[in-house]
Parts: sequence; C-alpha cells; structure tokens
Amino acid sequence: MAAAESAKIIVNGLKDAGISIIVTLPDINLSDLLREVEETKDVIHVPLCREEEGMGICAGGYLVGKKCAAIMQNGGFFNSNNAIVSTLLQYQVPVLLWIYYAGDIGDRTFASTGGMTEPVLQALGIRYYVMRDIDDAPELIKRAQILAEDGKKPIALLLTKEVLGRRAALKSL
Amino acid sequence: MKRYDCLQALVAEIKDALVVSSAGAMTLEWNALHPSDGNFRVRTLGLCSSIALGMALGLPHRKVVALDGDGSLLMNLCSLPTIARMRPSNLVHIVFDNEVYEASGSKKTATGAGTDLVGMARAAGIKNSHWSKTVEEFAAAAATALRGTELCFIGAKVTTERTAVPPFPIDEVENKYRFMRHIEQSEKIEIFKVNLPASYT
Repeated sequence: MAAAESAKIIVNGLKDAGISIIVTLPDINLSDLLREVEETKDVIHVPLCREEEGMGICAGGYLVGKKCAAIMQNGGFFNSNNAIVSTLLQYQVPVLLWIYYAGDIGDRTFASTGGMTEPVLQALGIRYYVMRDIDDAPELIKRAQILAEDGKKPIALLLTKEVLGRRAALKSL
Repeated sequence: MKRYDCLQALVAEIKDALVVSSAGAMTLEWNALHPSDGNFRVRTLGLCSSIALGMALGLPHRKVVALDGDGSLLMNLCSLPTIARMRPSNLVHIVFDNEVYEASGSKKTATGAGTDLVGMARAAGIKNSHWSKTVEEFAAAAATALRGTELCFIGAKVTTERTAVPPFPIDEVENKYRFMRHIEQSEKIEIFKVNLPASYT
C-alpha cells in the first residue's frame, strides 16, 4: 500500500480513538504521516524541537482532559526517557507513543538504535505492539488507547516501514 | 527582590488560572500562599513550561501560568521556540531567575555567568518578553499578562532567599487526580469515565 494511503488510515484511526493533541518530530520515513497530521483538522498539531518536551505537552493536555499522542523516531523515544519516567509513569499519564522503528530488520542504518528499542520499552514496563499490517491499524489504535487509559500508562506502537507503506510486508514477521 | 514577595503579588491576580510550578522551594511557597487544586507541581526538571503549554493548548479559554526557574528553563530551552510557534494567547510564562540550581545544592547556573533568558525568549519569537526589576514592576507585569490576551514571558531576577513554609502536602498521583477533578468541576466536563466490567452490565 502506498505511504500516503497508510498515513490516512493511521491518522483516521487516531481521530477515531479520540486523540486531539499530536506532538511530532520528523523522520524521513514519517514524512507522509506527518503531512497527513498537518493537514488534518480537529487535532492540534505541535511540531517539537526535541521529543522530551513533547512528553510534557502530552501530560499537560491529558491533565485538562485531552487525549494525546506523540509521533517520533526511536532515537527521540530515547531522548524522552527522563520525562517518560518522572512525569508519565510517576503521575500515571496515558499517552500513545508512536515510535518509528529505525534499525528494524532489513534497514541499513541505526541497527544499535533498533536493537535497544524493545529492551528499553521492556525495562520501563511500557507495553508495546509492533505494527506491520496496515489493515489492522484502525483496530489496533483503538485497542491501544483503551489499554493506555485503563492502565493509566503510556503505550507504544512501533511503526515499521511495512505499516508506513514503505516496504513490502512479510508473512513471517 | 525576593521570590516570595513576587508570588504574594501574583496571588491577587491569579483568579481561576491554572498554575504549573517547577520542582523546588518555589512550589512550596506558592502553595502556601495560594493553596488550590488548580496547582500542579512538576517533578521533571525542565518540563514546567511544556506541561503548561499542553494545558494552554487543551483549554484555550483558560489562563495557564508556568512558574519556572532558571535551571529548569535552561534544561528545556527548546520549549521557547515551540511556545513561540504555537503562540497560545492564554499562556503566561514566568521565570524566577536566582542564578543557581537551588533545589540541587545551589551551584551557579549559566544565567549567573551572563545568559539572558528574556533575551532568549524574545529571540525565540515571544515578542512580549520583559524583565521585572522590582516587586512593583512584577506585580504590574503579572496583572497586564493575566488580564490580557497575549502570550507573555516575564523574567524576574530574585535572591536565593527561601521563605519557611510547610511541605507540599500531597504526592504526584493525588496531585494529578485533584487537579483533574478541579478541571472537571470548574469546566463542567467529564474526564474520567469508569467502565464497568461486562459481567456487571
């Protein structure tokens, strides 16, 4: 599926899950998705300078009753760790973390970043789901938001090139 | 200028504004002067202005005040261009600059070596950024900011003097719930919906 089409499905899924504030920082593989976020009405889009500030913005939005999501690369997730621990986890704040999975199998860059992504999420006790099939995306997003709210914690969805429409899906992944 | 005197001057103007305060003694002083469930204490050094920005964007008709410190803002300087870019008209960002990491052993910060936070805020794009040099100037600046409809950044150079006040009486999770119940009541909205298990229905 084309990247632009995947982007539409994902952003519609976010809106259906009730997300109204989305903080983002670009990655080339997220470009179609971020263009879709920019063009979407009904959500407040906050372009960040560094991902950690986005955790604060999402916490602030949640505290006044908004559902929030962050879209970033896994390097940005690493940048955000102090805020995730001492704000999101300490105050029990649900946020959807959309993490582009750089260094995934088949990539020629960021192997160490890719290799540490799931172990760090596990160490933080953040439940995560690797998204590979765009057809599952709308339902997966809805369920992830329910889990975030019910568990009062951030939930991570790992965005692969497959789900972003940038690489063919494999049956065994 | 003493931070406590500035905070005291702010009380008269605060009305129903939400107040986000950075880690450290300032939070205790503010809470002693103006105890309210609309006060939110920040634990992550640096995130004060970002949390306040999220609140301001989420509730655009409600004033939000960030009570920040120099050490905190220096750790999250990228918050300034992001705030400038979003330009929320209901956000008032106040920085008490005592030139030390007060809560961390009072080592000197970069502002003690000449960094100008108001200059940085203005250069980031927050045009309405000014220093207040006296408590009277601070009181006037706070009144203008809280009664106005423009994004404001107020810098106040203060001494390192602390005022003896009681500790902050609640933990982080209780702070969250009290704050959010305060939002529900004052905004007449429902945030928490408790879903009963399917077997109950």
